[in-house]
Amino acid sequence: MTKVLNKVKSFFVGIPTKVKNYFKSIPDRLKKKFAGAKEIITQGNSKVGASICCMGLGQLLYKQWTKGSMFILLQVAFILYFVFTGGADLFGLFTLGQVKGDAWFGIAGDNSVVMMLMGIFAVIMIMFYIAIYIVNVKDVYATQCAEDTLKEPLSFKSQAASLLDKNFHKTALTLPIIGVCIFSILPIVFMILIAFTNYGGTTVPPELVDWVGFENFGKILTLGQFAPTFFKIFGWNLMWAVLSTAINFFAGIGLALLLNKACVKCKAIWRAFPILAYAIPGFITLLGFKFMFSYGGPINYYIQQGGGDAIGFLAVNSKWTARLIGLGVNAWISVPSIMLLATGILSNLNNDLYEAARVDGASAWRQFIKITLPYVLFATTPVLITQFINNFNNFGIFYFLRDGVISDSYFLANNTDLLINWLYRISIDNNYYSIGAAISLIIFIVTSIISLTVYILSPSYKQEETFR
Amino acid sequence: MNKAKAKVVKSKSKKVLNVLITYCILIVVAFIFFFPCLWLILASFSKSGSIYSFDGFFPKEYGIDAFKTLFTDTVMYNYPKWFLNTLFISVMSCIFGTLLTILTAYCMSRFRFKSRKKLMKATLVLGMFPSFMGTIAVYLLMTQFNLINQQWGLILIYSGTAPMGYMVQKGFFDTIPYSIDEAARIDGASNFTVFVKFILPLSKPILVYTALTSFTWPWSDFILPKMLLQNRDLWTVAVGLMSLGETEFARFAAGSIIIAIPIIILYFCLVKYMINGMSAGAVKE
Amino acid sequence: MANLSLKHIYKVYPNGAKAVNDFNMQIDDKEFIVFVGPSGCGKSTTLRMIAGLEEITAGELKIGDVVVNGMEPKDRDIAMVFQNYALYPHMTIYENIAFGLRTRKVPKEEIDKRVTEAAETLGITEYLKRKPKEMSGGQRQRVALGRAIVREPKVMLLDEPLSNLDAKLRTQMRSEIIKLHKKLNTTFIYVTHDQVEAMTMGTRIVVMKDGFVKQIDTPKNLYKYPSNKFVAGFIGTPQMNFFQGTLKKDGDKVHIEFKWSEAKITVPYSMLMKTTPQYLDGTKTVYIGFRAEDISLEEDKVRASEAKIKVRISHSEELGTETLVYGDINMDGDGFAETNTRVIIKSAGFKEYKPDTVCEAALNIDSIHLFDIETEESIMPRIPEYNYLDCNVENGKLKFLGNSVDLPESAVCENGSGELLISVSAIKFDGDIKAKVIDNENINGQNLVSLDINGSRIYALSDNVLEKGEIGIGLDFKKLIINVGSVGISPMPLTNGLNGTFVMEKLPETINVKGKDKKVKTPHYYLVINGTKFEAPEQIYSKMFAATTGRKVYNSTYRYEWTPYDFTVSESGIEAQVLKTLDYGAEKFLKCAVGEEILYVKCDKVMSGKIYLVPEVNKVSVIESERQIRIV
Repeated sequence: MTKVLNKVKSFFVGIPTKVKNYFKSIPDRLKKKFAGAKEIITQGNSKVGASICCMGLGQLLYKQWTKGSMFILLQVAFILYFVFTGGADLFGLFTLGQVKGDAWFGIAGDNSVVMMLMGIFAVIMIMFYIAIYIVNVKDVYATQCAEDTLKEPLSFKSQAASLLDKNFHKTALTLPIIGVCIFSILPIVFMILIAFTNYGGTTVPPELVDWVGFENFGKILTLGQFAPTFFKIFGWNLMWAVLSTAINFFAGIGLALLLNKACVKCKAIWRAFPILAYAIPGFITLLGFKFMFSYGGPINYYIQQGGGDAIGFLAVNSKWTARLIGLGVNAWISVPSIMLLATGILSNLNNDLYEAARVDGASAWRQFIKITLPYVLFATTPVLITQFINNFNNFGIFYFLRDGVISDSYFLANNTDLLINWLYRISIDNNYYSIGAAISLIIFIVTSIISLTVYILSPSYKQEETFR
Repeated sequence: MNKAKAKVVKSKSKKVLNVLITYCILIVVAFIFFFPCLWLILASFSKSGSIYSFDGFFPKEYGIDAFKTLFTDTVMYNYPKWFLNTLFISVMSCIFGTLLTILTAYCMSRFRFKSRKKLMKATLVLGMFPSFMGTIAVYLLMTQFNLINQQWGLILIYSGTAPMGYMVQKGFFDTIPYSIDEAARIDGASNFTVFVKFILPLSKPILVYTALTSFTWPWSDFILPKMLLQNRDLWTVAVGLMSLGETEFARFAAGSIIIAIPIIILYFCLVKYMINGMSAGAVKE
Repeated sequence: MANLSLKHIYKVYPNGAKAVNDFNMQIDDKEFIVFVGPSGCGKSTTLRMIAGLEEITAGELKIGDVVVNGMEPKDRDIAMVFQNYALYPHMTIYENIAFGLRTRKVPKEEIDKRVTEAAETLGITEYLKRKPKEMSGGQRQRVALGRAIVREPKVMLLDEPLSNLDAKLRTQMRSEIIKLHKKLNTTFIYVTHDQVEAMTMGTRIVVMKDGFVKQIDTPKNLYKYPSNKFVAGFIGTPQMNFFQGTLKKDGDKVHIEFKWSEAKITVPYSMLMKTTPQYLDGTKTVYIGFRAEDISLEEDKVRASEAKIKVRISHSEELGTETLVYGDINMDGDGFAETNTRVIIKSAGFKEYKPDTVCEAALNIDSIHLFDIETEESIMPRIPEYNYLDCNVENGKLKFLGNSVDLPESAVCENGSGELLISVSAIKFDGDIKAKVIDNENINGQNLVSLDINGSRIYALSDNVLEKGEIGIGLDFKKLIINVGSVGISPMPLTNGLNGTFVMEKLPETINVKGKDKKVKTPHYYLVINGTKFEAPEQIYSKMFAATTGRKVYNSTYRYEWTPYDFTVSESGIEAQVLKTLDYGAEKFLKCAVGEEILYVKCDKVMSGKIYLVPEVNKVSVIESERQIRIV
């Protein structure tokens, strides 16, 4: 145990020096990075200069008509975008709007949030433009090099053909990168920025939103309204993540091992039941369980038949019953997927190991402890991390099971809510956007620290180190 | 001699006990997983809709009224429309999402370009952000692009973010030996041809796995549709079923069964591929 | 159906690791070349560079007459067989074989004909409709071969094709590949780590280690004349026995004493005539190598032998046709661990040897191998570097072997007696010294002549085979080493290195295009040495471009090398200060300083002071200083 702690400690203690070294190496790496740029500027001829000034001009001077005009068109398009909307958008990102809208006087006003979003969009567009610009300069310089070294300069046709061969990755990755930029990166950056504004509550458009620095984080951690709720939820959230991951993981692997036993006949049929549970869409399962445990549900029916009073398993005043039900339902949903995964992994496990162990006289239990478990653990560590993060951020379970329940002594939350549920209630149901964004950031920091730690301790990380 | 015999007998009886216990556990597990499903199926055939008119788990009277009303009573709850909406969104997202994910994974597995490591690390970090952290931004973005109340907006989002989960697929591609690519290149194939004619046919399991996962996600997602589709006629089944209360329990059960059946059938047909795909991705992280 | 030429091939990875170092080889049409060496020696990298799967860092690779550096693999007209077969699993055998032809748009009937033919050759006709999964390892390898031969490539590349097969199949496939090579009449290049495969298959073998070529030769010569300890140990099973010991010359005999043992043998000096005398004074330790088959325990052989050593038997391995006897020449050694006293002896048939008995073993001294202890190079080279003779210098006259020659001015040294080293290339076949040609020996394309001068054996290289009999020879004094007196005479260096850069300039030129004069700027390329520019001919700059990427060629420092004969003295050029004139009688040289470098330049007349040198640019050899790569 101390060994494990030391390892984690040494890693995290090592972080400052790593960071320091990183910053120390910046000049060198910059130098390396800009060596190419320096070479182009010092060695490039006038045509390269032309392309530096105006995209595509150098290509035209080299009589590469198609390529040159394509670059010029791109440039014109970008300039038009920038002049008409992009420039203002970018400016708006910093000001977040100056004119307050007033319906009475018919002033449209600035929508700060949209301005921020479009500002980020403009930044992404500018980055794309810079990337294309660099491609353009490199391209014309490559033509110069080819000409100067008497190599045949690449024709547009062969360059286009290389997009299906040598540079196929560029073609193939364009769409995914654009998609991820717009639908993953842009929203995340937006939310990160929102965490540093006063957006939310009464400050929503047409009111102007403004930058406030770290105020929101201060509110969450110290202010009477948020702080107690935050720490209560955070504690339960951690417990939930650890418990549910452990339960799902060991139950899943145990089930797989059970089905893998030689004495089990008709494995496919036995396996079908968990797969059935796996295949049913999650929201159906959750709604179904909610009905099952509701006041009028079958469980309470039998309790009442037995002479008891109906129990509000998921009602406001229930705490641990609701939590236990949550763990159980989550296991019902997640165990089958772990089982399938472990089944696949076990089928790859070499039988010789077991035979060797049997010859050595190891008991079934020892075989399990010494061979099966380490192997399965090794192979599934990455999955374990994702499982943990998914459980930490398991939105669905309590969203469906306890929709609309608000506990006392909690601010806009109930006693089974996880941070992510709280986040949802705060930001989407109750408009505290900036607080919600700050909570998201905290969740991100927690999950990344935890998964980093697990990753460091995992055998696959160790192995990677010995390999490299 | 006798001792040895006794030992054999003992170990034999131990074995029988072992088998017995194993089967007991299996039966319990099967019951746990099957019973809620059975309950839903029974409930869907209940004559009266409300959960209060049940004898515990079992309806008092059986009938197919719930299914009838599901498809005929479409004023409040237009189930057929919802079903078609869900199908359309899921199929489209499945096609585009699979394509993008497979392409990304192939590039990451086969090409050694300059920013490869950076891209891989970036996706890892991005994956750690809470999944709907950006929902508000997405919502605003969609209003800006006029894609609110549009099914294509959802499809765009689902397929646009799909490539983030390329790791499993990359792990699978890594197991296909490089020498096949090289042999094909010597035989005169370009990288595009290698991808289409060699990698794709060889990666059926992972294709199926990817298609299935990118189909089931929109099929059972409720957060995005709830937020982006405000028109009742545009709802997906998930959003629609959520709006059903305890008195409409039979209808809920019937709707759930209809939407669950295609997926269950798919899963059972492709379970072999699923196991292959999952373990290939996991072992070769 | 083509010859290959590899000139100064390098593979340097971006992290600076050199996988292949200065690989030079000419491969003739229809040869069967085997690259062999331990894993990580660069053999596969070299093969993959030939295939085009790996970029060539520097050097020139020609297939036929075409330089193929940077060419796509599909355009090189090669075919490759991989270790793991690399069959396309989802295609039938027929489709597998036909794929390469289909992408090349060969007509359908033609494809059909060629596939059937290839299948027949390899005996896989009945499997054409199967998938690779349904076939055994040997059959899969046949398919892989079929896929390669059906395209009728210029060169067949095989990367450890038999490594995944079991021992029996491997032997069988081995002979089939040999048969295939005979039938196809194509150049084969075959990579393996198995020396048995190499010896049985190759017409020539390239032995590699750590990225360096250790020896290129025919199997027979590799076995008989390994040029270093690595090759000696790598080729042949069981491994050659290596001992350590000293050599002491005594008249026409050389005594060899083994270390850590009382073993002593004597060999005639005539066997070691090509060995540098410093190894023969009894002080320097050398490796002594004997193959297991050159040591015998048979009684009649031992009785007849002069070179006997005592061996303590430790155990033996009976292999049926022969028995391997393990022993130790050190009576305290255990005979198991691989030490410098352990000995393995091959003896024919079944014979029982009792452990712990001490036997006498006869060494076949004709096949002794000797290696330097540090460099591990053979000290019995087939072509010696120098002839070692005693000599006497008296008033400008060099006396050796009963001859007396006048020393030229610059080779005059103090009077006295000492040692004379005549380089094998320092002997010219015209002159006053009387000699007798005894023998001509062709060693890897070089003709080594054995001469007799007053009863002593002298070796010389000549361009052509000389008739046996009397001949007059002369000496090239600039290649002599005379260790007489305190200073002595050392040979004149034959390479002059100068640092410089490479530049391009565009000069306006008028060319005639379709009857119209057109002004264009054409690039001109120059070597720049000490500020002086020399225009480079095409073959040089094209090679320099090939070895570098982009314009990097214009910024790096290079080392340009010339021989003393490649300079002329002119009005302008590289400024040099004459330090001394070296007069070797027939030829005169100037020793001059260019900056801090010393140059030797041939000249016609004595000069002094400042001169200007112009090198012959197309005879330059270029070394990239940064990565230590020879480019031209």
